[in-house]
Amino acid sequence: MLKRKGRFSAYLRRIRSFSSEFFSNRLGVFGFVVLVAFAAVVAVGPRIAPYNPLSLKSIGVGPPFAPPSWIRLIDPSVPESDTFGLLGTDEIGRDIFSQVVYGSRISLFVGFSAALISITVGTIVGLVAGYFGGILDQLLMRATDILLTIPTLPLMIVLAAILGSSIFNLVVVIGALGWQSTARIIRSQVLSLKESPFVESSRAIGSSDFRIIFRILLPNVAPLVYVNAALTVANVIFLEAGLSFLGLGDPNHISWGLMLFYANEYMAAMRGAWWYVVPPGLCILLVVMSFIFVGHALDDVLNPRLRRR
Amino acid sequence: MCEVALAMGFREYLARRTVYTLATVFAVITINFLIFRVMPGDPVSILVAENVIRPEMIQEVRRLYGLDLPLWEQYLLYLRNAVSGSFGFSFQYRRPVMEEILDRLPNTIALMGSATVLAIVIGILVGVVSAWKRGKRADITLLVGSLFFHSVPVYWLGILILMLFAYQLRLFPTAGTLSRPPPTEFIPLITDYLNHLVLPMLTITLVLYGTYALITRNTLIDILTQEYVTIARAKGLSKSEIMFRHAIRNAMLPLITTIAVSLGYIVGGAVMTETVFSWRGVGRMIFDSVTSRDYPMLQGAFFIISFSVILANYVADVLYGVIDPRVKY
Repeated sequence: MLKRKGRFSAYLRRIRSFSSEFFSNRLGVFGFVVLVAFAAVVAVGPRIAPYNPLSLKSIGVGPPFAPPSWIRLIDPSVPESDTFGLLGTDEIGRDIFSQVVYGSRISLFVGFSAALISITVGTIVGLVAGYFGGILDQLLMRATDILLTIPTLPLMIVLAAILGSSIFNLVVVIGALGWQSTARIIRSQVLSLKESPFVESSRAIGSSDFRIIFRILLPNVAPLVYVNAALTVANVIFLEAGLSFLGLGDPNHISWGLMLFYANEYMAAMRGAWWYVVPPGLCILLVVMSFIFVGHALDDVLNPRLRRR
Repeated sequence: MCEVALAMGFREYLARRTVYTLATVFAVITINFLIFRVMPGDPVSILVAENVIRPEMIQEVRRLYGLDLPLWEQYLLYLRNAVSGSFGFSFQYRRPVMEEILDRLPNTIALMGSATVLAIVIGILVGVVSAWKRGKRADITLLVGSLFFHSVPVYWLGILILMLFAYQLRLFPTAGTLSRPPPTEFIPLITDYLNHLVLPMLTITLVLYGTYALITRNTLIDILTQEYVTIARAKGLSKSEIMFRHAIRNAMLPLITTIAVSLGYIVGGAVMTETVFSWRGVGRMIFDSVTSRDYPMLQGAFFIISFSVILANYVADVLYGVIDPRVKY
């Protein structure tokens, strides 16, 4: 009982010191706040979006390419009937605000699931290669190096084009090709941890390889995994948006990248429809930047060797 | 004696990099081969599905592509074709894949080359200023700017630039590589081409410079905290002497590697930027091939791009070995 209580307060202390360090990083705080805001949008999604952009009923709720209604505050000469909603409409008169809200779900869902695959594969490859060494290490690392050299975006384009446009395929393709740098980082950390006394002693008392890898090495590389996870999510969201922009997104699930694909296809630039272009791109930018900021803030707190130069 | 040992080391290093590079090219060819065979159906059924050939031609085409041979013989055939640069026939352009790529490659090289050089120059300048003013307001501003452009989606920036400079301000043409009809005389032709080049080049330069600036800044700050810099300072060297005589020289090495590694991403940026600006290069071709599901074209493009990136990496590795005597062979 007592012991448990002690452990609990130790956790509390650690969380408190972690958060006070994390929140002293201004960019980290910025990223955290933005991500919480986006998480809220994802959670309440359909409740704040006035129309379901995927339903046929949402077509033509306003005039095509209508600017947002608040444009009349700046330019009162625009007739009210030519404007629509919070962020205007697209080429078939659908509400853009609703698309941005629904799009956040797809963009973040794909981002997180593909990043989960990448991080898991990368961590396991790094742990196994670093721990076992020898031929296994050689094989895995040569494969990693080759995948690091091959430009992955063109490869993803080919794969996604052949597999067909679906959310599932996007997740698999991005996830399967994004683990290389994680594997390298984890491996080099494992190489130095492997020689440490606690791994030696664990081996001496007869722990299995499996136990050493997952119960001893994994917790010790966890801080690196967290930092990498934040940066991987940023990268993956960026990639998903890019592939969707190239027309490889799932047409049945609107995402930010897909919105920009349609905006480009229907010449939003020529029509000066900034309300169509700015919101989805700004969302991608904000989310990606926030994950990078959070990643660097985590790195500062969790890997303090490099701190304060 | 020592020099001989060093030369041997370098030769061995060179040999190892060469073998590794060839292995990577080999891997790319193999991936390309597998993509088509492992996917459900075979290339011919894809051709039928895409209405390129009529069903009654299947047997003939199968024999033509050697698809009735055992898999390993197909692989050898594919390997031979790939090495000789033959990647089949494009569905959409109705001509050999390689011809179309070679036609468009100069446009892509002009765009990417100019943008990359500009981005490197700007990136290094910004990075040096940032490191110089480390921690001050100027540094923070430049840092946030670099981070901003580092995470901005290139196609989004492209559409905004297109909207502002081409459609609103009408300063530059809105699409393409040349006006239609193109000017006939040489000088106006070049000006016309450059006029079309400005906006896509600006777009790519903006998204690239941030990465180089961040790396230059971080490398310089790393170097400026090294002991030899402290010693140089103790000797009484001025801040600018330390920066230009010691720090920047040493920072060039990691930059070379980063630039080589970033080539893969640059190519990705080319696909999207060329798409936005309808630049008649390999990138726009990839986009069109995605839209029309032109698989032979996609595979050919993937091979050419990978090959260029792998080659650039190889050159960077060799350069690195020549320039930096500390490199571990």
